Amino acid sequence: MKGKHNTAYYWAFILPSVIAISIIILIPLLLGIGTSLTNSDGYQAVFTGLENYQRLFKDEQFISSMWFTLRFSFVAVILINAIGLGLALLVTQKLGKVSTIFRTIFFMPNLIGGIILGFIWQFIFVRAFEGIASATGISFFSSWLSDSTTGFWALVIVFLWQMSGYIMIVYISFLANIPGELLEAGQMDGANNWQAFWKIKFPMLAPAFTISLFLTLANAFKVYDVNLALTNGAPYGSTEMVAMNIYNTAFYQYEQGYAQAKAIVFLLLIAAISLTQIFLTRRKEVDL
Amino acid sequence: MGKKYSTLLTPLFAVPFLISGCGTGGTTSTPDSGDSESGVSDGVVTVDFFNQKPEITAQLEELADMYNEETDGNTRVTITTVGSGEGSAGLQARFSSGDEPALMMLGGLPEVERYSDSLIDVSELDVTDTLIDGTLEGGTIDDIPLGIPLNLEGFGWMYNREIFEEAGINPDSIQSYDDFAEAVETLDSQKEELGIDEVFAFSGGENYIANQFSANFTSPEFNESIIESYEAKELNWEYGDQMKKYTDLFNQYNVQPILTVDYSRSVEELFVNDKVAMVHQGIWIVPTLNDIDPSFAKEKLGLLPVYGESDTEGKIIAGAPFYIGVNKNLDDAVVEESKNFLDWMYTSEEGKEMITGDLAFVPAQEGYEPEDISDPVSQELYRALLAGETGAMTHKQYPDGWFQQVLYPEYQKYLNGDQTWEDFEMNTAEAFKEMR
Repeated sequence: MKGKHNTAYYWAFILPSVIAISIIILIPLLLGIGTSLTNSDGYQAVFTGLENYQRLFKDEQFISSMWFTLRFSFVAVILINAIGLGLALLVTQKLGKVSTIFRTIFFMPNLIGGIILGFIWQFIFVRAFEGIASATGISFFSSWLSDSTTGFWALVIVFLWQMSGYIMIVYISFLANIPGELLEAGQMDGANNWQAFWKIKFPMLAPAFTISLFLTLANAFKVYDVNLALTNGAPYGSTEMVAMNIYNTAFYQYEQGYAQAKAIVFLLLIAAISLTQIFLTRRKEVDL
Repeated sequence: MGKKYSTLLTPLFAVPFLISGCGTGGTTSTPDSGDSESGVSDGVVTVDFFNQKPEITAQLEELADMYNEETDGNTRVTITTVGSGEGSAGLQARFSSGDEPALMMLGGLPEVERYSDSLIDVSELDVTDTLIDGTLEGGTIDDIPLGIPLNLEGFGWMYNREIFEEAGINPDSIQSYDDFAEAVETLDSQKEELGIDEVFAFSGGENYIANQFSANFTSPEFNESIIESYEAKELNWEYGDQMKKYTDLFNQYNVQPILTVDYSRSVEELFVNDKVAMVHQGIWIVPTLNDIDPSFAKEKLGLLPVYGESDTEGKIIAGAPFYIGVNKNLDDAVVEESKNFLDWMYTSEEGKEMITGDLAFVPAQEGYEPEDISDPVSQELYRALLAGETGAMTHKQYPDGWFQQVLYPEYQKYLNGDQTWEDFEMNTAEAFKEMR
């Protein structure tokens, strides 16, 4: 009797979430899978089977968007975590009030929306950089955003700017939770700061890596707002990331069915990569 | 038992209650009339107008208020605006969610056709009889007119008369491509004296500019016919050589890097401040220019044609960029009032005043005095239209997504020197056939 009672409570508490998730995630997902098997233009639809999925693998723009997104995510994930951890280590030094000020400053860009960040940086790259280039004659600063290499790095820089502070917060909370006695014991044994970091802090941060890698990976793959505001795919579609490619297919070409197929493939890919990452990093976590 | 269940159900009920608690304040105070959905309630007919031109929202709202007074409050016209290239997507969302607008602005035949099953035949409207010949073409599917042209617009090389005069060039003497190229070189040679950065500020960073520019060269290929370009199965770039010649010319004398020159820099910063002599733009920039410098459009602005067909035949591309369609799926009363509103907007004295006044439209109707139209360039355009000396807006009839996904990126590659002109023509022509 008691067990049953608890089960009922369990369901009563979980039901609202289940309903919400079904309405906003599960049902649209199933509808989306259905749409991906048609040639829907958002209006009329005829069942076409797996045709959309076959077409995908021959779509050069989609493949290059996918490749661009993979490269972007790879670089962004590594740099964000390196910078985020670096900032976290800096602001957890015993600096008094100053460290709070720095934490706030580093976190600030995350409070600004991606669209606005994108436009701010577009101004920096196009106008400020150009100004530096013409004043100093250093060609490194000229023509940013007008070729695909600088377009790529521009996106990376803005995304780093946006995400590093956020990831820093995650690392700070985990760094603060490392028991003082572990570090003290290390000191007694004569470990220097370098050794203390690699041998004690780093392994203790494993759960933080799981979370931060997951957050950055998933976010990097799904970037749309920064992409739209900063480059909008320019020059010539070379900086068009997958999310934007899907949106454009759906709303410029009106190929909703095809766009859905792209989205489903994209979902499977993100799910596969994220789950693999969680599985791998979980194994590194240590229990005390 | 009962008590047990009531405690059990508490969390279940609590959640929706909490959620809805936040929303009730807004919905109860404005029953039905609070939203923009078309329909009839308490004898008031609500007509929702889907607008794709954000720059005229305020004026349309004023028209709506005027009409509300005109009908003693029995008709409410609401304006919903989604623009800047997202208008079509927004309209589609309205249709697929079932919240269909009563009046909608449609850009070009592909869009008119998409909604053709939901649109009434507009030949029964009074306003239809007043239109300039040929302007209805862009809203006609299978010989049935489904849209009223909103207004007329035209584009070409917009130039700064003052700079031309200072450089000793008489704009009226430019009668061929060679004259044009010569003028460009003259301007370039006097850059410092004229105080300009470059001759051109072509916005290589805006997809619609590349699209509009292409119309100069596709219009002659499709015999200046909107229907023909809409039905075309392929695009062969018959006048591609002219387009290349122009592209090479302005790219050489343009503000660089050309791919990062966007609309606001080109028009609102360089052109209006006399920093460049020419931009490829249309008369819709006049209100913007007026906001920044009220005398600019009146005193300095000029419009040069593009010699697209040959070196000696220059045309301004003109036509109706948007057509207003009337939705027939709604209540009869709503459809009727939608038609009345359109007729009132275009044929009543108040409406006409608004059109040439605050809206600063070049009207698609006959019977206006060119002098009534707001600025010299628009007057010029109205005269050219009445005389039939303009090219067609073929760029509005390309396959869906073609200009954003193919023409623009491929054109950028050429501008940036990353591909040859032959490749540009080949890639765009191939995709045109595929996407049609």
